[in-house]
Amino acid sequence: MTETVLQTQALTKYYGSTLAVDHLNLKIPQGCICGFVGRNGAGKTTAIKLMLGLLKPTAGSSRLLGCDSQQLLPAIRQRIGYVTEGHRLFRWMSINELQKFQRAFFPKQWDDKFFADMIEYFNLPKKRKIKHLSNGERAQVSLALALAPNPELLIMDDPTLGLDAAIRRQFLEGMIELIMRQGRTVLFSSHILGDVERVSDRIVVIDKGVLRANCSLEEFRAAVKKVILSFTDSPPADVDIEGLLHCRRSEKELELILVGPADEQITQWAKKSGAQNHQIVKMNLEDQFIEFTAPPNHRRLFQWEEK
Amino acid sequence: MALWIQISSGSGEPIYVQVAQQISEAIAKSELASGDKLPAVRKLASELVINPNTVARAYTRLEQAGLVTTKTGSGTYVSDPKLRKSDAADINILTERMDTLITRGLNLGLREQDLITMFKDRLAKFVNRQTERKND
Amino acid sequence: MLLAAIIFLAIGGFSLRAQAYFVQSNWLSWGLSPGSVVEPYRLTHYSPLAITGIWLVITSIGLGLALGVRHFLIPLFTRTWPFLLHRSASRQMILGAKLTAATIAFVVSLGSVWIGLYWYACRSELFMVPPPVRVFIEGWLFIVLGLVVYLGTAMTALSKARWYTTKILGLAFAMVVICMIFLQWRLSWALAMVIIGVVVLLSQIIDTFLNREF
Repeated sequence: MTETVLQTQALTKYYGSTLAVDHLNLKIPQGCICGFVGRNGAGKTTAIKLMLGLLKPTAGSSRLLGCDSQQLLPAIRQRIGYVTEGHRLFRWMSINELQKFQRAFFPKQWDDKFFADMIEYFNLPKKRKIKHLSNGERAQVSLALALAPNPELLIMDDPTLGLDAAIRRQFLEGMIELIMRQGRTVLFSSHILGDVERVSDRIVVIDKGVLRANCSLEEFRAAVKKVILSFTDSPPADVDIEGLLHCRRSEKELELILVGPADEQITQWAKKSGAQNHQIVKMNLEDQFIEFTAPPNHRRLFQWEEK
Repeated sequence: MALWIQISSGSGEPIYVQVAQQISEAIAKSELASGDKLPAVRKLASELVINPNTVARAYTRLEQAGLVTTKTGSGTYVSDPKLRKSDAADINILTERMDTLITRGLNLGLREQDLITMFKDRLAKFVNRQTERKND
Repeated sequence: MLLAAIIFLAIGGFSLRAQAYFVQSNWLSWGLSPGSVVEPYRLTHYSPLAITGIWLVITSIGLGLALGVRHFLIPLFTRTWPFLLHRSASRQMILGAKLTAATIAFVVSLGSVWIGLYWYACRSELFMVPPPVRVFIEGWLFIVLGLVVYLGTAMTALSKARWYTTKILGLAFAMVVICMIFLQWRLSWALAMVIIGVVVLLSQIIDTFLNREF
């Protein structure tokens, strides 16, 4: 059950002198939907392309289904689905032609009926060429192409970028549908934290090429907390609480972003530091992500000041 | 059955908590009576478009609260109210909830007596519904 | 499987082929119509078919360029390389399919027309003397020359060099081959040049394609 389907070891990639992926040590167990999140330019696409052997690492290595990414055998590739960023498909082919083309390369598990049902559900004309489809329709074709071979591991690079809510939901449904089959694993990158929260049971956060979190979604949800402490005087100068990520101070208040400590620990510390009262704020995943990946000492872009 | 469960994915509450809360509410309102079967984990996951592990986690939470029991190989059922245990932590949470309601009421300018009457009214409605269901 | 790949990769070639065919047949009538042919025939001592040969060179180079762009440059612009490369086929096979498709495209479109033309020229009563075999071989040489241009274009498209001067090296090499052939025209010399061109570019392309990042 806890077989590792995806593993990277100190995976590093430089573009010239720019560091894109920095010693990534990642392990994804079988059977989960893993949300791969990070800000723009954090290195998600690079990491995914390295894993699929489309890019060569500067250092380190990665393995998919036990096979080195740089020497992925055709037999292994056949078991992996990959949805490219922006759903780039051959523009000159019709949906029918594309289906035949794709089926030829994933013959073992290809499900013709499943594909046909999906295309029919999406109400797409089979004979229309890809270049005459809208972005959303192209994404739907791409989803059908990715799911029809019933991949053991499905890797999707920002599949819902720029799509409307209904098509985004179809992608989520597709992932849930796939994961219900025995031993399937999904890794998808996204900027829509609501989607990630909905379908993932695992979250991987990378920031500036560095792996920041790789844990169950619930762990992440429970770990990142915001605490607001109010003081009668100015707050203490040094905050020595465990797991402190950010500390913002105003005249009589202290706002802390913490990773890890339990509520009791926070209460204890609040008492010790002489806070008048404290409040542990429940953040949603998006706020947690923003705080978690914010640079130190960051402040709001626009700060309201009372005159 | 699953359709009345509303998932809000931008919320501060984790999704498994949302699911557990809404099911327990339904049990309290007798929309789900003891002995009723909850939908299978996979079915609910597929209908709500959420991860099956999240549903399983919600069911575990309900089971820990004694609201449902899982029979292996058969499914998850709403448990007999007599067999439900309530521990101190649950009651703690309950009193905290009441605090928020009382605060809100007082801020609205309601008097103590008004709050008590309101509470009694609502309670009566719940009890009525329960007896109605039993008579069915 | 390979067949499917070949068929699909050649789809781009089909339209070109059809075009080439059409234009070729026009040239055929133009090149072989008595009025226009008589003069060059007398002037050059060459078979009239050699005149069509000039057109063959141009079409062949054009086809090479177009196919090179179709097979290697357009996937770069439309970013379909990742989609193409992730499948149960090794990079060797994918490259092989493209090159085979291009070769077939050349043979089917230009080669068959050339054979047909030669056959017609031999049989037709338009000509007093049947065209020498040498002319026929020259035609094939021109077709391979188109393949050199195709490979040169492919090399340019695949090159990851940052400077344009180094990027167009592949295409430049193909042009040098063409120039060298026509500057010192001897059949043996030309054949040698074309073979060298194909071998050099092919080895470069295989090496680049197998190690390239997409």
